[in-house]
Amino acid sequence: MSKEVKLFLGPNHPGMHGNSSVHLYVEGDTVVKARLVPGFLHRGFEKLMEKRLWFQNLALIPRICVPEPDINEMVFAMAIESLTKTEIPERAHWIRMIILELARIASHLMAMGGIGGATGLYTMPYWTMPDRDRILDIFEKITGARIYHMYIIPGGVRKDLPGGIEKEILAVLDYLESRKPEYENLLLKHRVIRTRTKGIAKLTKEEALEMGVTGVGLRATGLPYDIRKIDPYARYDKVEFSVPTATEGDAYARFTLKYLEVQQSINIIRQCIDMMPKEGPVNIKFTRGSALRLRVPAGSIYCHVESSRGEYGYFVVSDGGEMPYRIHVRGASYPQGLYGVESKLPGTRLEDVALWLGTMDFCSPEIDR
Amino acid sequence: MTKQQSAWEKVANMLRARSLWMLYYCTGCGAIELPPTMTSRFDMERFGIGPMATPRQADILLITGYLSTKTLRRVVYTYEQMQAPKYIVGFGSCTLNGGIYYDSYATINKLDLYIPVDLYLAGCMPRPEAIVTGFKKLMEKIDKGEADGWKRYQENYEWYKKNQLDALGEVYIHDEFHE
Amino acid sequence: MNSMNKKIFNEIKAIFKNIEFTDIDERKYSVIIPKEKAVSFLETLKRKGFSHMSLITCIDWIAEKEFEIVYTLFNWETGTTLMVKTRVDRDNPILPTVMEIWPTAKYYERDIHEFFGVKFEGNPDLRPLILEKWEEIPPMRKDFDSAKYSKEHFPDRAYDVDFLLEGSESNE
Repeated sequence: MSKEVKLFLGPNHPGMHGNSSVHLYVEGDTVVKARLVPGFLHRGFEKLMEKRLWFQNLALIPRICVPEPDINEMVFAMAIESLTKTEIPERAHWIRMIILELARIASHLMAMGGIGGATGLYTMPYWTMPDRDRILDIFEKITGARIYHMYIIPGGVRKDLPGGIEKEILAVLDYLESRKPEYENLLLKHRVIRTRTKGIAKLTKEEALEMGVTGVGLRATGLPYDIRKIDPYARYDKVEFSVPTATEGDAYARFTLKYLEVQQSINIIRQCIDMMPKEGPVNIKFTRGSALRLRVPAGSIYCHVESSRGEYGYFVVSDGGEMPYRIHVRGASYPQGLYGVESKLPGTRLEDVALWLGTMDFCSPEIDR
Repeated sequence: MTKQQSAWEKVANMLRARSLWMLYYCTGCGAIELPPTMTSRFDMERFGIGPMATPRQADILLITGYLSTKTLRRVVYTYEQMQAPKYIVGFGSCTLNGGIYYDSYATINKLDLYIPVDLYLAGCMPRPEAIVTGFKKLMEKIDKGEADGWKRYQENYEWYKKNQLDALGEVYIHDEFHE
Repeated sequence: MNSMNKKIFNEIKAIFKNIEFTDIDERKYSVIIPKEKAVSFLETLKRKGFSHMSLITCIDWIAEKEFEIVYTLFNWETGTTLMVKTRVDRDNPILPTVMEIWPTAKYYERDIHEFFGVKFEGNPDLRPLILEKWEEIPPMRKDFDSAKYSKEHFPDRAYDVDFLLEGSESNE
């Protein structure tokens, strides 16, 4: 005799990523039906943005995605620059890339720590979090804040890099590389991780494309699709980096890719520091008067970047006024979080739900907005 | 506002302040600074604070930032599941007066209308150092018997319930399948 | 890159008459299509390489009494973004669903239904997704006032001192 049990996984659960909930029907340990319940972090961002000036929104937008706020500032700035047809100074492009790649490393380190929570290997967060803190310290020196930087603004970046920061960034990168053997031992070769994640939460190439999954989830199925390569922004077409791929499409492949992407980001930052113009302006003035009075010409545009979780985009509509007419945020985890949970989790075991959410890079605030 | 404590209460409060379990529930974006606080750099376990998975065994409920009405329902559930004595810490300016989301249709503006708050941490968001200092303050308050939010909740239960119903309509959680 | 786009666009123009692809930016285009043709148009685009659906969104043009639905598609081969726009009457907003083409559209449409009140015919699941117990008009419509709603439902903290006026001077 089988019996189905209704189960609420989260929002108050150590295995959940952020404040969201998965409602499940389970039969024994097997999931029969699953639905994601989003909305716990809904603040009505898109509505609030319509009531704030273009530049006031700068304080609001980083708060949409907490682990990696800089991508918000980047897409917002890209959209405004594209609508106003502005060219920003060369040095600003390179500074932006350094910031974005540092944020990617920080976000990946956090995700790697999160896998420790889902598999029971609690040493992992104790290693990755302090390493991530070194990057946050760099951010604090550059921008003045640990988490929400408000550094990338339309027209460039807010201020120039402080003197001598390049040396400190390189020191942190060297330190991260020196940790490589230890991480490989703990993360990739560890028996707990290998038994828990190999062949778990699988996704095939066709399913990934049909669902619209981007980022690591798609690349783990063998497709080298990275927006930095395919639709390059900033100066990503000038630096050399490779896009790591795998063919298994399981949880193990996905976080192996995350680990490999950290290496690529380190390479990119090294090249940026090497190739960027050593001095010059880092931003341009948008209007002659106050920047708060900025008016953006009427039009609509969709700008996207490759975040650590996949395609992250803003759809921006302006009616020529002082405030945005409409902004829609495309969170990277929308497909795998909502449709993926519904279609891919039935049939798996209960404990793999956390692994799906953890390795597919699920981030609830960008779904809820 | 320090009340006269009996000898038994003094001993109990002293012991309570030295072993605190905080509930592992990230209600908002302030939770991003909790992993650094928990892990080896700031290491809050040296003060006797550790994370706890279930509300029934936890002492502290952290409201880490803004609360949407949907979360507030779960927070009230969670808070009422916790065993007294229980303490609430409000993170950031969003819990104080709505913060940057003062005009949002989905978030509440003033947390202590709905549940009693023992300590507020200012800032958006509070740094790990601020969180550690805040916990030290909370310990002092518990030691002195000043952190009595759970008593206030019992005494003014009708007032809190009325406020909750005004904002939420009903404090009941339906499941997603609607069956 | 650009010639490939031109080839795709010309092939589509041969099937659908009176279609104009507008150039917005480098590798970004937009196109307007009447809503009756939208589903077959999108299906053609998917077969021609615009296989990745980034986003379905809605804009409330309240002055023109219309909703504009925008399907943002992306081509992984050429790196081109294409925005397909269609308009629908604001008083009676009904559109056919595209969830047969992209299954994830189910949730985008549910989202739009919740925040704008646009109905999608054929989508079986249009229950509220994000909000709970919402009784007002859909909140993303332009005639909904968020600040007023917040003031009515969620009381503010009353301050004895107006810090904007007096706080800057030291009271010590």
